[in-house]
Amino acid sequence: MRYLFFSLFLLLTSCFKEPLYHSQSYVFGTLVDISIYGESDERARQLAEHVLQDFQSLHNRLHAWKPISAGKPSELQQLNTAFEKANQPISISPDLAAMLIDATQLSEKSNGLFNPAIGHLIGTWGFQRDEFTPLGVDEVAIKNLIHAQPRMTDLVIKNNTVYTTNPTVKLDLGGYAKGYALDIASSYLRQQGVKNALINIGGNIIALGQHGDTPWRVGIQHPRKPSAIATLDLPDGWAVGTSGDYQRYFMRDGKRYCHLIDPRIGYPAQGTQAVTVLVPPSSHAGVLSDVASKPIFIESAENRNQAAQAMGVTDFMVIDAQSRIFVSNSMAKKLHWIEPDVQFSKF
Amino acid sequence: MFNFQNFKHKYIRLWLSSMRLGDWLVLVLALSFVVYLFTALWTNSHATKVQIKLGDKIYGAYSLNQQRDVHVHGSIGETIIRIADGRARFLRSPCHHQYCVHQGWLSRAGQAAICLPNQISLELLSEHKPYDSLSY
Repeated sequence: MRYLFFSLFLLLTSCFKEPLYHSQSYVFGTLVDISIYGESDERARQLAEHVLQDFQSLHNRLHAWKPISAGKPSELQQLNTAFEKANQPISISPDLAAMLIDATQLSEKSNGLFNPAIGHLIGTWGFQRDEFTPLGVDEVAIKNLIHAQPRMTDLVIKNNTVYTTNPTVKLDLGGYAKGYALDIASSYLRQQGVKNALINIGGNIIALGQHGDTPWRVGIQHPRKPSAIATLDLPDGWAVGTSGDYQRYFMRDGKRYCHLIDPRIGYPAQGTQAVTVLVPPSSHAGVLSDVASKPIFIESAENRNQAAQAMGVTDFMVIDAQSRIFVSNSMAKKLHWIEPDVQFSKF
Repeated sequence: MFNFQNFKHKYIRLWLSSMRLGDWLVLVLALSFVVYLFTALWTNSHATKVQIKLGDKIYGAYSLNQQRDVHVHGSIGETIIRIADGRARFLRSPCHHQYCVHQGWLSRAGQAAICLPNQISLELLSEHKPYDSLSY
Protein backbone atom coordinates (compact mmCIF):
# COMPACT_ATOMS: atom_id res chain seq x y z
CA MET A 1 0.00 0.00 0.00
CA ARG A 2 2.83 2.32 0.91
CA TYR A 3 4.34 1.73 -2.54
CA LEU A 4 1.04 2.45 -4.19
CA PHE A 5 0.86 5.85 -2.50
CA PHE A 6 4.47 6.51 -3.39
CA SER A 7 3.97 5.75 -7.06
CA LEU A 8 0.74 7.77 -7.07
CA PHE A 9 2.71 10.66 -5.62
CA LEU A 10 5.36 10.29 -8.36
CA LEU A 11 2.65 10.20 -11.00
CA LEU A 12 1.10 13.38 -9.63
CA THR A 13 4.36 15.31 -9.38
CA SER A 14 5.23 14.35 -12.94
CA CYS A 15 2.15 16.29 -14.02
CA PHE A 16 3.68 19.56 -12.84
CA LYS A 17 5.50 21.50 -15.54
CA GLU A 18 9.27 21.20 -15.37
CA PRO A 19 11.09 24.55 -15.09
CA LEU A 20 12.31 24.54 -18.70
CA TYR A 21 12.20 27.64 -20.86
CA HIS A 22 12.70 27.21 -24.59
CA SER A 23 12.97 29.79 -27.36
CA GLN A 24 13.66 29.55 -31.05
CA SER A 25 14.62 32.46 -33.33
CA TYR A 26 16.27 33.20 -36.63
CA VAL A 27 19.57 35.05 -36.18
CA PHE A 28 22.92 34.64 -38.02
CA GLY A 29 20.87 33.54 -41.03
CA THR A 30 20.13 30.34 -39.15
CA LEU A 31 18.10 28.90 -36.33
CA VAL A 32 19.03 29.83 -32.76
CA ASP A 33 17.62 27.61 -30.06
CA ILE A 34 17.98 28.49 -26.36
CA SER A 35 16.90 26.26 -23.46
CA ILE A 36 17.20 27.47 -19.87
CA TYR A 37 16.44 25.14 -16.99
CA GLY A 38 15.67 26.05 -13.40
CA GLU A 39 14.89 29.76 -13.78
CA SER A 40 11.47 31.41 -13.68
CA ASP A 41 9.89 31.78 -17.12
CA GLU A 42 10.08 35.55 -16.94
CA ARG A 43 13.77 35.70 -16.00
CA ALA A 44 14.65 33.03 -18.55
CA ARG A 45 12.83 35.01 -21.24
CA GLN A 46 14.80 38.18 -20.37
CA LEU A 47 18.12 36.30 -20.36
CA ALA A 48 17.38 34.68 -23.72
CA GLU A 49 16.34 38.07 -25.10
CA HIS A 50 19.69 39.55 -24.07
CA VAL A 51 21.62 36.65 -25.61
CA LEU A 52 19.69 37.05 -28.87
CA GLN A 53 20.44 40.79 -28.95
CA ASP A 54 24.15 40.02 -28.53
CA PHE A 55 23.91 37.56 -31.41
CA GLN A 56 22.14 40.10 -33.60
CA SER A 57 24.79 42.73 -32.96
CA LEU A 58 27.61 40.24 -33.67
CA HIS A 59 25.78 39.26 -36.85
CA ASN A 60 25.51 42.90 -37.91
CA ARG A 61 29.19 43.53 -37.25
CA LEU A 62 30.67 40.34 -38.68
CA HIS A 63 28.48 39.51 -41.64
CA ALA A 64 30.67 38.92 -44.68
CA TRP A 65 28.28 40.09 -47.38
CA LYS A 66 24.98 41.37 -46.04
CA PRO A 67 24.99 45.09 -45.11
CA ILE A 68 23.27 46.09 -41.85
CA SER A 69 20.93 48.17 -44.00
CA ALA A 70 21.14 49.66 -47.49
CA GLY A 71 24.45 51.52 -47.89
CA LYS A 72 25.58 50.60 -44.36
CA PRO A 73 28.22 47.88 -44.52
CA SER A 74 29.22 45.78 -41.50
CA GLU A 75 32.52 46.37 -39.69
CA LEU A 76 33.94 43.34 -41.46
CA GLN A 77 32.75 44.52 -44.89
CA GLN A 78 34.38 47.93 -44.32
CA LEU A 79 37.58 46.12 -43.44
CA ASN A 80 37.43 44.01 -46.59
CA THR A 81 36.84 47.08 -48.76
CA ALA A 82 39.84 48.76 -47.13
CA PHE A 83 41.99 45.67 -47.77
CA GLU A 84 41.38 46.00 -51.50
CA LYS A 85 42.42 49.65 -51.58
CA ALA A 86 45.55 50.13 -49.53
CA ASN A 87 47.84 48.48 -47.06
CA GLN A 88 47.57 51.14 -44.39
CA PRO A 89 46.68 50.14 -40.82
CA ILE A 90 42.94 50.35 -40.18
CA SER A 91 41.50 50.79 -36.69
CA ILE A 92 39.25 47.97 -35.54
CA SER A 93 37.47 47.30 -32.27
CA PRO A 94 39.51 45.40 -29.64
CA ASP A 95 37.26 42.33 -29.70
CA LEU A 96 37.52 42.04 -33.50
CA ALA A 97 41.31 42.33 -33.22
CA ALA A 98 41.29 39.52 -30.62
CA MET A 99 39.09 37.41 -32.91
CA LEU A 100 41.42 37.88 -35.88
CA ILE A 101 44.50 36.98 -33.80
CA ASP A 102 42.72 33.87 -32.48
CA ALA A 103 41.47 32.88 -35.95
CA THR A 104 44.99 33.28 -37.33
CA GLN A 105 46.40 30.91 -34.69
CA LEU A 106 43.68 28.35 -35.41
CA SER A 107 44.28 28.69 -39.14
CA GLU A 108 48.00 28.00 -38.64
CA LYS A 109 47.20 25.00 -36.42
CA SER A 110 45.00 23.60 -39.20
CA ASN A 111 47.79 24.02 -41.77
CA GLY A 112 45.62 26.56 -43.53
CA LEU A 113 42.64 24.23 -44.06
CA PHE A 114 40.59 26.51 -41.82
CA ASN A 115 41.15 29.73 -43.72
CA PRO A 116 38.86 32.73 -43.10
CA ALA A 117 40.94 34.77 -45.58
CA ILE A 118 39.44 33.10 -48.68
CA GLY A 119 36.30 35.24 -48.82
CA HIS A 120 36.92 35.90 -52.54
CA LEU A 121 36.97 32.14 -53.29
CA ILE A 122 33.74 31.60 -51.33
CA GLY A 123 32.19 34.49 -53.25
CA THR A 124 33.36 33.03 -56.59
CA TRP A 125 31.43 29.85 -55.80
CA GLY A 126 28.33 31.89 -55.01
CA PHE A 127 28.09 30.99 -51.34
CA GLN A 128 28.08 34.59 -50.16
CA ARG A 129 24.40 35.04 -50.92
CA ASP A 130 21.17 34.11 -49.19
CA GLU A 131 19.79 32.24 -52.17
CA PHE A 132 22.65 30.80 -54.15
CA THR A 133 21.99 29.50 -57.61
CA PRO A 134 24.62 27.35 -59.24
CA LEU A 135 27.12 29.68 -60.88
CA GLY A 136 29.35 28.73 -63.78
CA VAL A 137 32.74 27.73 -62.41
CA ASP A 138 35.08 30.65 -63.00
CA GLU A 139 38.24 28.59 -63.40
CA VAL A 140 40.45 31.57 -64.16
CA ALA A 141 39.36 33.43 -61.03
CA ILE A 142 39.91 30.29 -58.91
CA LYS A 143 43.35 29.72 -60.39
CA ASN A 144 44.37 33.31 -59.78
CA LEU A 145 43.15 33.19 -56.17
CA ILE A 146 44.96 29.91 -55.48
CA HIS A 147 48.10 31.45 -56.95
CA ALA A 148 47.72 34.61 -54.82
CA GLN A 149 47.38 32.43 -51.66
CA PRO A 150 45.39 34.69 -49.33
CA ARG A 151 46.20 33.60 -45.78
CA MET A 152 45.48 34.81 -42.26
CA THR A 153 49.22 35.29 -41.72
CA ASP A 154 49.10 38.02 -44.38
CA LEU A 155 47.36 40.15 -41.75
CA VAL A 156 49.43 42.44 -39.57
CA ILE A 157 47.47 43.06 -36.37
CA LYS A 158 48.86 45.52 -33.86
CA ASN A 159 47.37 47.85 -31.23
CA ASN A 160 43.83 47.33 -32.49
CA THR A 161 44.80 48.11 -36.06
CA VAL A 162 45.13 45.74 -38.98
CA TYR A 163 46.44 45.78 -42.52
CA THR A 164 47.16 43.09 -45.05
CA THR A 165 50.30 42.46 -47.05
CA ASN A 166 48.17 40.59 -49.60
CA PRO A 167 45.33 42.50 -51.28
CA THR A 168 43.50 39.27 -52.18
CA VAL A 169 42.69 38.62 -48.51
CA LYS A 170 38.96 38.88 -47.90
CA LEU A 171 37.71 37.89 -44.46
CA ASP A 172 34.73 35.56 -44.04
CA LEU A 173 34.23 34.48 -40.41
CA GLY A 174 31.42 32.07 -41.37
CA GLY A 175 33.27 29.17 -39.72
CA TYR A 176 34.18 31.08 -36.58
CA ALA A 177 31.51 33.58 -35.59
CA LYS A 178 28.84 31.12 -34.44
CA GLY A 179 31.29 29.39 -32.13
CA TYR A 180 32.49 32.76 -30.83
CA ALA A 181 28.88 33.74 -30.14
CA LEU A 182 28.40 30.49 -28.16
CA ASP A 183 31.35 31.38 -25.90
CA ILE A 184 30.00 34.92 -25.41
CA ALA A 185 26.53 33.60 -24.55
CA SER A 186 27.75 30.91 -22.17
CA SER A 187 30.01 33.31 -20.24
CA TYR A 188 27.18 35.86 -20.05
CA LEU A 189 24.72 33.30 -18.69
CA ARG A 190 27.25 32.01 -16.13
CA GLN A 191 27.91 35.60 -15.05
CA GLN A 192 24.17 36.00 -14.50
CA GLY A 193 24.17 32.97 -12.23
CA VAL A 194 22.43 30.63 -14.67
CA LYS A 195 23.36 27.05 -13.82
CA ASN A 196 21.62 25.10 -16.58
CA ALA A 197 21.22 26.07 -20.22
CA LEU A 198 21.69 24.71 -23.72
CA ILE A 199 22.44 27.08 -26.60
CA ASN A 200 22.27 25.99 -30.23
CA ILE A 201 23.35 28.32 -33.05
CA GLY A 202 22.84 26.68 -36.41
CA GLY A 203 23.86 23.26 -35.10
CA ASN A 204 26.75 24.39 -32.90
CA ILE A 205 25.78 23.66 -29.30
CA ILE A 206 27.21 24.47 -25.88
CA ALA A 207 25.93 23.15 -22.54
CA LEU A 208 25.76 24.74 -19.11
CA GLY A 209 24.92 22.39 -16.26
CA GLN A 210 22.26 19.87 -17.13
CA HIS A 211 18.59 19.25 -17.84
CA GLY A 212 17.23 18.56 -14.35
CA ASP A 213 18.65 15.29 -13.06
CA THR A 214 20.16 14.18 -16.37
CA PRO A 215 22.77 15.70 -18.71
CA TRP A 216 21.65 17.67 -21.73
CA ARG A 217 21.20 15.26 -24.60
CA VAL A 218 22.07 16.27 -28.13
CA GLY A 219 21.12 14.61 -31.41
CA ILE A 220 23.52 14.51 -34.37
CA GLN A 221 21.87 15.03 -37.74
CA HIS A 222 22.01 12.22 -40.29
CA PRO A 223 23.49 13.84 -43.43
CA ARG A 224 21.01 12.16 -45.79
CA LYS A 225 17.89 11.57 -43.67
CA PRO A 226 15.55 13.95 -41.86
CA SER A 227 16.45 12.51 -38.47
CA ALA A 228 19.28 12.10 -36.01
CA ILE A 229 21.86 9.36 -36.57
CA ALA A 230 22.98 9.28 -32.92
CA THR A 231 22.65 11.09 -29.62
CA LEU A 232 25.20 11.97 -26.98
CA ASP A 233 25.20 13.51 -23.52
CA LEU A 234 26.70 16.99 -23.41
CA PRO A 235 28.13 17.56 -19.91
CA ASP A 236 28.61 20.99 -18.30
CA GLY A 237 30.86 23.23 -20.41
CA TRP A 238 31.19 20.85 -23.37
CA ALA A 239 30.42 21.94 -26.92
CA VAL A 240 29.57 20.05 -30.08
CA GLY A 241 29.65 21.17 -33.70
CA THR A 242 28.82 19.58 -37.03
CA SER A 243 29.90 20.57 -40.54
CA GLY A 244 27.84 19.07 -43.32
CA ASP A 245 27.45 19.19 -47.08
CA TYR A 246 23.65 19.25 -46.77
CA GLN A 247 22.86 22.72 -45.40
CA ARG A 248 24.46 24.99 -47.99
CA TYR A 249 25.13 23.37 -51.33
CA PHE A 250 24.00 23.23 -54.93
CA MET A 251 23.74 20.33 -57.35
CA ARG A 252 25.02 20.46 -60.92
CA ASP A 253 25.18 17.54 -63.34
CA GLY A 254 24.38 15.22 -60.45
CA LYS A 255 27.37 16.44 -58.47
CA ARG A 256 27.12 18.13 -55.09
CA TYR A 257 29.00 21.37 -54.46
CA CYS A 258 28.97 22.28 -50.77
CA HIS A 259 29.95 25.52 -49.05
CA LEU A 260 33.17 24.10 -47.55
CA ILE A 261 35.95 25.09 -49.95
CA ASP A 262 39.32 23.31 -49.91
CA PRO A 263 41.72 26.31 -49.82
CA ARG A 264 44.49 24.24 -51.49
CA ILE A 265 42.57 23.69 -54.73
CA GLY A 266 39.81 26.29 -54.53
CA TYR A 267 37.04 23.72 -55.05
CA PRO A 268 34.35 22.49 -52.65
CA ALA A 269 35.53 19.52 -50.56
CA GLN A 270 34.13 16.33 -52.12
CA GLY A 271 35.09 13.45 -49.84
CA THR A 272 32.83 14.07 -46.86
CA GLN A 273 29.14 14.31 -45.96
CA ALA A 274 29.51 15.36 -42.33
CA VAL A 275 31.98 15.81 -39.48
CA THR A 276 30.99 16.18 -35.82
CA VAL A 277 33.45 17.24 -33.12
CA LEU A 278 32.97 17.17 -29.36
CA VAL A 279 35.04 19.67 -27.38
CA PRO A 280 35.78 19.65 -23.61
CA PRO A 281 35.19 22.72 -21.42
CA SER A 282 37.37 25.80 -21.92
CA SER A 283 36.80 29.51 -22.49
CA HIS A 284 37.17 28.61 -26.19
CA ALA A 285 35.00 25.51 -26.39
CA GLY A 286 32.42 27.18 -28.64
CA VAL A 287 34.99 28.52 -31.12
CA LEU A 288 36.80 25.20 -31.27
CA SER A 289 33.55 23.27 -31.84
CA ASP A 290 32.87 25.53 -34.84
CA VAL A 291 36.39 25.67 -36.31
CA ALA A 292 37.78 22.17 -35.70
CA SER A 293 35.27 20.31 -37.86
CA LYS A 294 36.36 22.21 -41.00
CA PRO A 295 39.93 20.89 -41.45
CA ILE A 296 38.73 17.33 -40.73
CA PHE A 297 35.98 17.77 -43.32
CA ILE A 298 38.32 19.13 -45.99
CA GLU A 299 41.32 16.84 -45.37
CA SER A 300 41.72 13.64 -47.40
CA ALA A 301 40.61 10.34 -45.85
CA GLU A 302 44.08 9.19 -44.83
CA ASN A 303 44.95 12.48 -43.10
CA ARG A 304 41.72 13.12 -41.19
CA ASN A 305 43.09 11.73 -37.94
CA GLN A 306 46.12 14.05 -38.11
CA ALA A 307 43.87 17.00 -38.90
CA ALA A 308 41.87 16.26 -35.74
CA GLN A 309 45.03 15.85 -33.67
CA ALA A 310 46.43 19.13 -34.98
CA MET A 311 43.29 20.88 -33.72
CA GLY A 312 43.55 19.11 -30.36
CA VAL A 313 40.31 17.19 -30.94
CA THR A 314 39.99 13.60 -29.68
CA ASP A 315 36.21 13.10 -29.93
CA PHE A 316 35.01 13.17 -33.53
CA MET A 317 32.90 11.37 -36.12
CA VAL A 318 33.23 11.46 -39.91
CA ILE A 319 30.66 10.32 -42.47
CA ASP A 320 32.39 10.15 -45.83
CA ALA A 321 30.99 10.63 -49.34
CA GLN A 322 30.15 6.88 -49.53
CA SER A 323 28.12 7.24 -46.28
CA ARG A 324 30.71 5.19 -44.37
CA ILE A 325 30.95 6.13 -40.70
CA PHE A 326 34.27 6.60 -38.90
CA VAL A 327 34.43 7.32 -35.19
CA SER A 328 37.36 8.07 -32.89
CA ASN A 329 37.84 5.64 -30.00
CA SER A 330 36.76 8.02 -27.27
CA MET A 331 33.77 9.26 -29.30
CA ALA A 332 32.58 5.69 -29.88
CA LYS A 333 32.05 5.30 -26.13
CA LYS A 334 29.87 8.41 -25.98
CA LEU A 335 27.56 7.87 -28.95
CA HIS A 336 24.15 6.22 -28.73
CA TRP A 337 23.05 5.13 -32.19
CA ILE A 338 19.44 5.73 -33.12
CA GLU A 339 19.14 2.76 -35.46
CA PRO A 340 20.32 -0.61 -34.17
CA ASP A 341 23.23 -2.35 -35.94
CA VAL A 342 24.97 0.77 -37.25
CA GLN A 343 28.18 -0.22 -39.01
CA PHE A 344 31.15 2.00 -38.26
CA SER A 345 34.94 1.83 -38.22
CA LYS A 346 37.27 3.31 -35.66
CA PHE A 347 40.15 5.64 -36.41
CA MET B 1 -8.40 -23.34 12.99
CA PHE B 2 -8.79 -22.48 9.35
CA ASN B 3 -5.42 -22.28 7.62
CA PHE B 4 -5.71 -19.59 4.97
CA GLN B 5 -2.18 -20.22 3.61
CA ASN B 6 -2.94 -23.88 3.14
CA PHE B 7 -6.27 -23.16 1.50
CA LYS B 8 -4.65 -20.72 -0.94
CA HIS B 9 -2.04 -23.24 -2.07
CA LYS B 10 -4.64 -25.93 -2.56
CA TYR B 11 -6.87 -23.63 -4.51
CA ILE B 12 -4.10 -22.49 -6.85
CA ARG B 13 -2.99 -26.08 -7.42
CA LEU B 14 -6.51 -27.04 -8.29
CA TRP B 15 -6.86 -24.12 -10.65
CA LEU B 16 -3.55 -24.86 -12.37
CA SER B 17 -4.42 -28.53 -12.87
CA SER B 18 -7.68 -27.57 -14.59
CA MET B 19 -5.82 -25.41 -17.17
CA ARG B 20 -5.80 -26.97 -20.65
CA LEU B 21 -3.32 -26.42 -23.46
CA GLY B 22 -5.76 -24.03 -25.11
CA ASP B 23 -6.00 -21.98 -21.93
CA TRP B 24 -2.24 -21.64 -21.78
CA LEU B 25 -2.17 -20.65 -25.43
CA VAL B 26 -4.75 -17.94 -24.85
CA LEU B 27 -2.79 -16.70 -21.87
CA VAL B 28 0.50 -16.56 -23.77
CA LEU B 29 -1.14 -14.88 -26.76
CA ALA B 30 -2.83 -12.32 -24.55
CA LEU B 31 0.42 -11.53 -22.76
CA SER B 32 2.38 -11.16 -25.97
CA PHE B 33 -0.35 -8.91 -27.36
CA VAL B 34 0.00 -6.67 -24.30
CA VAL B 35 3.78 -6.58 -24.75
CA TYR B 36 3.30 -5.75 -28.45
CA LEU B 37 0.89 -2.93 -27.65
CA PHE B 38 3.25 -1.59 -25.04
CA THR B 39 6.22 -1.43 -27.41
CA ALA B 40 4.18 -0.17 -30.35
CA LEU B 41 2.28 2.57 -28.56
CA TRP B 42 4.24 3.44 -25.48
CA THR B 43 7.81 3.86 -26.63
CA ASN B 44 9.52 7.22 -26.93
CA SER B 45 9.85 7.09 -30.67
CA HIS B 46 6.13 7.17 -31.28
CA ALA B 47 5.25 10.65 -32.49
CA THR B 48 1.78 11.92 -31.73
CA LYS B 49 1.86 15.51 -32.95
CA VAL B 50 3.59 17.80 -35.38
CA GLN B 51 4.55 21.22 -34.07
CA ILE B 52 4.76 23.97 -36.67
CA LYS B 53 6.75 27.10 -35.83
CA LEU B 54 6.62 30.33 -37.78
CA GLY B 55 9.61 32.53 -36.89
CA ASP B 56 10.02 32.24 -33.14
CA LYS B 57 6.32 31.62 -32.49
CA ILE B 58 4.53 28.29 -32.24
CA TYR B 59 2.06 28.36 -35.12
CA GLY B 60 0.28 25.27 -33.95
CA ALA B 61 0.55 21.65 -32.90
CA TYR B 62 -1.50 19.23 -34.96
CA SER B 63 -2.36 15.63 -34.26
CA LEU B 64 -0.72 13.24 -36.73
CA ASN B 65 -3.84 11.15 -36.57
CA GLN B 66 -5.60 12.98 -39.38
CA GLN B 67 -5.46 13.79 -43.06
CA ARG B 68 -4.89 17.50 -43.46
CA ASP B 69 -3.00 20.21 -45.34
CA VAL B 70 -1.92 23.17 -43.22
CA HIS B 71 -1.34 26.44 -45.08
CA VAL B 72 1.15 28.77 -43.40
CA HIS B 73 2.03 32.26 -44.62
CA GLY B 74 5.74 32.82 -43.98
CA SER B 75 8.00 35.75 -44.74
CA ILE B 76 8.34 34.93 -48.46
CA GLY B 77 5.03 33.24 -49.21
CA GLU B 78 2.71 30.34 -48.57
CA THR B 79 4.02 26.98 -47.41
CA ILE B 80 1.83 23.89 -47.40
CA ILE B 81 2.44 21.20 -44.79
CA ARG B 82 0.76 17.85 -45.32
CA ILE B 83 -0.27 15.53 -42.50
CA ALA B 84 -1.25 11.96 -43.44
CA ASP B 85 -0.88 8.41 -42.11
CA GLY B 86 0.80 9.47 -38.87
CA ARG B 87 3.43 11.46 -40.78
CA ALA B 88 4.05 15.07 -41.79
CA ARG B 89 6.06 16.84 -44.50
CA PHE B 90 6.65 20.07 -46.36
CA LEU B 91 4.50 19.62 -49.46
CA ARG B 92 4.99 22.99 -51.16
CA SER B 93 7.23 25.92 -50.37
CA PRO B 94 7.98 29.22 -52.12
CA CYS B 95 11.71 28.92 -51.31
CA HIS B 96 14.30 28.66 -54.03
CA HIS B 97 16.17 25.47 -53.15
CA GLN B 98 13.28 23.37 -51.85
CA TYR B 99 15.55 21.76 -49.25
CA CYS B 100 12.55 21.56 -46.93
CA VAL B 101 10.41 19.72 -49.49
CA HIS B 102 13.28 17.34 -50.29
CA GLN B 103 13.45 16.35 -46.62
CA GLY B 104 10.36 14.25 -47.30
CA TRP B 105 8.16 12.60 -44.70
CA LEU B 106 8.88 12.87 -40.99
CA SER B 107 7.49 9.99 -38.99
CA ARG B 108 9.49 9.61 -35.78
CA ALA B 109 9.50 11.71 -32.65
CA GLY B 110 12.30 14.25 -32.65
CA GLN B 111 12.55 14.42 -36.44
CA ALA B 112 12.57 17.96 -37.71
CA ALA B 113 12.67 19.88 -40.97
CA ILE B 114 13.37 23.57 -41.40
CA CYS B 115 12.72 26.06 -44.16
CA LEU B 116 15.17 28.87 -43.39
CA PRO B 117 14.04 31.24 -46.19
CA ASN B 118 10.40 31.13 -45.10
CA GLN B 119 11.30 30.68 -41.39
CA ILE B 120 9.02 27.70 -40.87
CA SER B 121 9.97 24.58 -38.97
CA LEU B 122 8.31 21.23 -38.33
CA GLU B 123 9.07 19.00 -35.39
CA LEU B 124 7.44 15.73 -34.46
CA LEU B 125 6.55 15.55 -30.80
CA SER B 126 5.99 12.67 -28.43
CA GLU B 127 5.60 12.31 -24.69
CA HIS B 128 9.37 12.13 -24.32
CA LYS B 129 11.87 13.87 -26.57
CA PRO B 130 14.82 11.66 -27.54
CA TYR B 131 17.15 14.70 -27.26
CA ASP B 132 17.12 18.36 -26.18
CA SER B 133 18.68 19.90 -29.30
CA LEU B 134 20.14 18.86 -32.65
CA SER B 135 23.67 19.36 -34.06
CA TYR B 136 23.45 19.68 -37.86
